[in-house]
Amino acid sequence: MYTIGLRYCGGCNPQIDRTRVVKDLREGLAKLQTAVDITTDRSRAVDLLLLINGCEHACLEEDYSERDGPIISVEGLMVDRRPVEEDDIPDILIRKILDMMSSSSH
Amino acid sequence: MMNGKEYIESLRGLNREVYFLGRKIKNVVDEPMFQPHIHTAAMTYELAHEPEYQEIMTAVSHVTGERINRFTHIHHSIDDLVKKVRMMRLLGQKTGTCFQRCVGLDGLNAVYVTSYDIDQKYGTDYHERFRDYLLQVQENDWMPSGAMTDARGDRSRRPSMQQHPDAYLHIKERLDDGIIVSGMKAHITGAVNSHEILVMPTRTMSEEDADFALSFALPADTEGVSYIFSRQTNDTRRLDGVLDGGNPKYGIVGGEAVIVFKDVFVPWERVFMAGEYDFTTELVETFAGYHRSNYGGCKVGLADVVIGGSNWIAEAHGVERSSHIVDKLTDMIAMAETCWSCTLACSYEGHKTPSGAYNIHPLLANVTKLNITRMVYEWMRLAQDIAGGKIITLPSEKDLENPEIRETLFECFAGKQGFSPLDIIRMLRLIENMSVGAGLPEAMHGAGSPAAQKIMIARRSGIEKKMELAKTVAGINRDDYFERIIGKDETTHWNEVKKKLRGRETEIY
Repeated sequence: MYTIGLRYCGGCNPQIDRTRVVKDLREGLAKLQTAVDITTDRSRAVDLLLLINGCEHACLEEDYSERDGPIISVEGLMVDRRPVEEDDIPDILIRKILDMMSSSSH
Repeated sequence: MMNGKEYIESLRGLNREVYFLGRKIKNVVDEPMFQPHIHTAAMTYELAHEPEYQEIMTAVSHVTGERINRFTHIHHSIDDLVKKVRMMRLLGQKTGTCFQRCVGLDGLNAVYVTSYDIDQKYGTDYHERFRDYLLQVQENDWMPSGAMTDARGDRSRRPSMQQHPDAYLHIKERLDDGIIVSGMKAHITGAVNSHEILVMPTRTMSEEDADFALSFALPADTEGVSYIFSRQTNDTRRLDGVLDGGNPKYGIVGGEAVIVFKDVFVPWERVFMAGEYDFTTELVETFAGYHRSNYGGCKVGLADVVIGGSNWIAEAHGVERSSHIVDKLTDMIAMAETCWSCTLACSYEGHKTPSGAYNIHPLLANVTKLNITRMVYEWMRLAQDIAGGKIITLPSEKDLENPEIRETLFECFAGKQGFSPLDIIRMLRLIENMSVGAGLPEAMHGAGSPAAQKIMIARRSGIEKKMELAKTVAGINRDDYFERIIGKDETTHWNEVKKKLRGRETEIY
């Protein structure tokens, strides 16, 4: 099972609905019948870290870096520093996760 | 890195065409009208060599790894953004006026960020060209003037629809080796004492305005480029002695000029945007954000000077303990520190851009500048209030030097024992210079007028999200967290509450 460590920022003044993004992501992955486990348990070893920052300041990026393994970072209305529309974020994340999964299986 | 003297000497090598008061100025460096501005810009070079200021005045180049003047640096961390505004406050404190060089700094950063994004979309090589240019700026420690605002003519018409085609700087011709440009840039700070001109578009352009979507850099003395230096309040007092100028060392505002481009050739290697109209908004907004954040630094540095001057005058007049004076000074300090808080906040809340450079928080930067457009007027009003009417009725320096009336005037302007009348006049002249003159509208319009800040604030306010918050608290939206706290859905909860209250309602009538 491919494990994704989910981390939320503190959510003080988010530009996006962070929980809706994750809910839509979970549903999208489930529809594709992808074997992915998304966990917020910080003690577990994970294949990928998914940082859900509510804004572009991206506080979580101060705590996590590539040294911690592969990362996808939502930064408000950006994903990995590319501007995006809020509604597109779940699909963008699904594409990135599938890419990561396929590259890690090779 | 150059020091202050070396910077001034470096300007002698530039043979530019400058006009002022109907004359062509042959020697810019030694012209008394320009010298205070040159001294102020020189401070940005000088302090970079002083160990006690190097931590904020210098940075390590991400291009070369060498230590450079921070005014040529591309911000690569939150710490860089914070140090930038600390540098602005420091220089405001040291000069009491505009030190000009931040415009070019913001231009360098804005073009760096935007040229990267243009290349990502169109596969162009603007960013690589710009990095080559940046390397030259850093190695030579150049001061580029940031030339954004066009003359603009009839504001109701788009750039391409103007009666006068040169109202906006534009591409006249595209050649194999470069472009030919014509047009004007208005009120460009530090233009006559910069080494280079860094041009940016002044507004969002549409497809029909593609030739106006333009960014490039040129040496300041390029053939076809000329400058007309602007007037400022009481400017010719500089030709009339020393004391009456108020701040004879560093002047007032930044020394603005109109820059005229007449069929000027720009080689492709110095062109960073040529027709990509869909990136003009990004470039303008990125520049404006950086520049608006600065005002919470530099103007607060000026406030430090004018607050100190006001307190000194109150002491010299023996009124420093009066409650209304203490109250006014406290208000001035609170307003200045409010603006400082804003600029620190927009720096600490900054973010990384796709280019790797860091940008400030745009909403907070615009709030910073909007506060400045109001609060500078208010703290300068209080400075005038504390200083008294003398700041606009003082006799001239020439009368103070006239042996027939000198002693009488010194008696007239004497204050508390221990304060020299000449020093009192000197301080009053400084407060006059800072609070009565061109510095006020400069705080209003520099980096964009208040309406421009309000547009940005409205656009970035996230008002939809705020409405959702209100709807949740009001009970219009479902409140998941509340339901988790009470362990049931809200409707059930309130029905139960009503049931419990039955028979216990307050009897009002």
